[in-house]
Amino acid sequence: MLYFHTRKSKKVIGLQAVVLILLASLAAGCSSNAAVEPSGEEAEAVSPVKKVTVIRNLKADSLDPRKSWEPLRAGITETLTRLNEKMEITPWLAEGWEAVDDTTWRFRIREGITFHDGAKLDAAAVKASLEDAMKASEALAVSLKISRMDASGQELTIVTSEPYPALPSELVNPYTSIIHAAAKRKPGEQAIPLSPVGTGPYTAVKFTPNVEIVLQRFEGYWDGAAPLDEVVYKFNEDGNVRALALQAGEADIVYQLPAETITAVESEPELRVESLAGLRVYLLMFNQQKPAMKDIRVRKAFDLLLNRESIVNDIMLGHGTAASGPFHAGLPFGSRESAQPIQIEEAKRLLVEAGYKEEKDGKLYRDGKPLTLEVVTYKGRPELPLIAQLLQADAAKAGVTLKINVAENADVYLRENKQWDMATYAILSSPRGDGGYFLNAALTPGGSINPANIRVNGLEDTLDELNRTSDMAKRIEWTRQAADIVKREVPHAYAVYPNLIVGVNRRVTGWTPGPEEYYIVTNKLDVK
Amino acid sequence: MLVLVRRRLLQLVIVLFGLSVITFVLMKLAPGDPVLSILRIDEVAVTQADEEAVREKLGFNKPFLLQYGEWLLRVLKLDLGSSYVNGTPVLTLLSSRLPLTLQLTAGAIVVMLALAIPLGLLAARYPGRWPDHLCRIFALLGASIPNFLLGLLLIYFLSYRLGWLPTMGTGGIRHMILPSVTLGFALAAVYSRLLRSGLLDSLAQPYIRAARARGIAGWRVVLLHALRPALLPMLAVFGMSLGSMLAGSVVVEMLYAWPGIGSLAVDAVFQRDYPVIQGYVLLTGAFVIIVNLVVDVCYGLLDPRISFGKGDLQ
Repeated sequence: MLYFHTRKSKKVIGLQAVVLILLASLAAGCSSNAAVEPSGEEAEAVSPVKKVTVIRNLKADSLDPRKSWEPLRAGITETLTRLNEKMEITPWLAEGWEAVDDTTWRFRIREGITFHDGAKLDAAAVKASLEDAMKASEALAVSLKISRMDASGQELTIVTSEPYPALPSELVNPYTSIIHAAAKRKPGEQAIPLSPVGTGPYTAVKFTPNVEIVLQRFEGYWDGAAPLDEVVYKFNEDGNVRALALQAGEADIVYQLPAETITAVESEPELRVESLAGLRVYLLMFNQQKPAMKDIRVRKAFDLLLNRESIVNDIMLGHGTAASGPFHAGLPFGSRESAQPIQIEEAKRLLVEAGYKEEKDGKLYRDGKPLTLEVVTYKGRPELPLIAQLLQADAAKAGVTLKINVAENADVYLRENKQWDMATYAILSSPRGDGGYFLNAALTPGGSINPANIRVNGLEDTLDELNRTSDMAKRIEWTRQAADIVKREVPHAYAVYPNLIVGVNRRVTGWTPGPEEYYIVTNKLDVK
Repeated sequence: MLVLVRRRLLQLVIVLFGLSVITFVLMKLAPGDPVLSILRIDEVAVTQADEEAVREKLGFNKPFLLQYGEWLLRVLKLDLGSSYVNGTPVLTLLSSRLPLTLQLTAGAIVVMLALAIPLGLLAARYPGRWPDHLCRIFALLGASIPNFLLGLLLIYFLSYRLGWLPTMGTGGIRHMILPSVTLGFALAAVYSRLLRSGLLDSLAQPYIRAARARGIAGWRVVLLHALRPALLPMLAVFGMSLGSMLAGSVVVEMLYAWPGIGSLAVDAVFQRDYPVIQGYVLLTGAFVIIVNLVVDVCYGLLDPRISFGKGDLQ
């Protein structure tokens, strides 16, 4: 009897243990939910808050403006300079600036601006913020080249370590967002990564990394308080889900709709789709370390073999613009020419001129060897492998065999291997309204996005001039000249400027997307 | 039992050490390093000389064993380091993501049990009849619909068409339903089949015939006599799938913008963020070993004939 009794109690304990483990894991899940849920729903129930929901395609795990662009995009922070609709650099927190000499700049900080915590914005605050940012970000310290700053009242003097005329453009960089650096050192307050104390029209009241930022209007905004009470700024990396959220009315503004969802979104009367040329360019990079690619006629031939029309219409489904240079026509220094159409016969003629002979099988040979080249591509941008395939088909018509190599990590592959001939690549060619970045990083030997160490004949002098010039109009002129040299020397073949596709609910007013993707939540954003 | 626990804890240390060596070697063998991400080359004009300077500063040029040794020394002091890419301490990153992953896993288990147990029971109780066929169709569906498709379908019908549930995000029970169903559905398919075959096995045992002979009939035999031994194979698989649930929910995490530990790991691998990868491997390694320890202990509770550690005591 006793034996049975113990067996039974063991049995009970066994089952209890299993049940307990499950219950515990469930409770762990539910308890934290229970704590969070009411706040969200109550807030919705109390009063009809004027609210807009934005969904971005790339997630962010930090609200630290020194490491993330999101605080600026979400209207929490602002920079000294900004880009206007024409992609020109204009004053923002700085109301003006001038170059005193080659290495000295004087910025006048706008009067009457306060941080979210009520502190006044003056030159000393800007100095502290920039110093803080350069300490926190390796990339920023490298790109700003600031050696010293002096603050006096609203006047900030910046001394750079070398002549650096691109400084006002670099200050557009969201990493240079001006925050109240002293605020985070006050005891008992949250550190920067959670809620930066900026000057923007909104403050973050809740941040769930990689999920959402809940923003509340900042009443003391210097440029007029925003009309909305609340903006919810969400992240989701899945394009189909973003489109469904827009259709379900859960979101008002959705970035990067997949091209195949556009018809469905446009069929809903309350939604519209905005498709505008972005600042990125898809291009074909030539590795001039390979003898075949050293010959400009070969490079020109591949430039002629790129079927830009088909790339725009068939690969990008119409949401792109055929490229005629590194910078698109909407930029002050952008290319005004029309894009090169595909010319297979002309390409073949150039290759024959370069010493390749056509044999009976229709292929081009040199010294008995067929012309076979390797083109590297990667899946990070799904259109790039398709562009490589299209080029492969058209090159075959000209007698050239292309082998496509899909690299897992293209940046590393291109640097560590010297054997590739061409690569499809995507570059943000003008991230801050200035062409200097692209020309220095992609077309100068030793640049960070120049894995083949391309040296463009004749570009060096023009680039030196550009790197010395601070006058905006003159910079545009030098950039144009540099772009002409690039066009002549064909270090790259520019394929397409992909569009930014944004889905918007028609109830949203006072808002259009900009190609720079910086100024998303503004004090003008409103709903009907 | 204590012997078992003690032995497993020792194993844990050895396995974690081995894991960390292997991941460290693999990471260093894989092409690339986090310097390009640190310097954000696609946004900021830097030169290859700047890259080299950062590489030097972070010690990537040091001998491999020295790098590993330095890392190991810090770990022994319970310092997992900070992410190279965003500077956040690895411990903070893991501890902020882990609760969400555990929530999702718990939700998936609930969905799995709620579907698998009734279906498995019905199928075994009426083999070859319509409940069994239903269960089989369900299992086929569960095994063949990929996560992302099921997730999109659920969002399309339940969020967009019917508007019952939110499409994405975290927050309340309502946010948990869709991700949990998406993740639990495929599991339920496997487990309902496991349970069915386990039950059919044990229902064919002589002691069931004896029980029936004693006049115990129908569901009572199934639930009280046949179910317990049938749970053993389920438990074995459960121990393993819990590990994969922790890491393998990346697709679901992405669909529903659910920032769990899986997407943290995938991002870290792409950016070659070594400290985060190492921290993640240690955490999941420890978790899988502990879960399997719990499973082994549960074996003994479910079937007292199974016992561990006796050999050591004798």
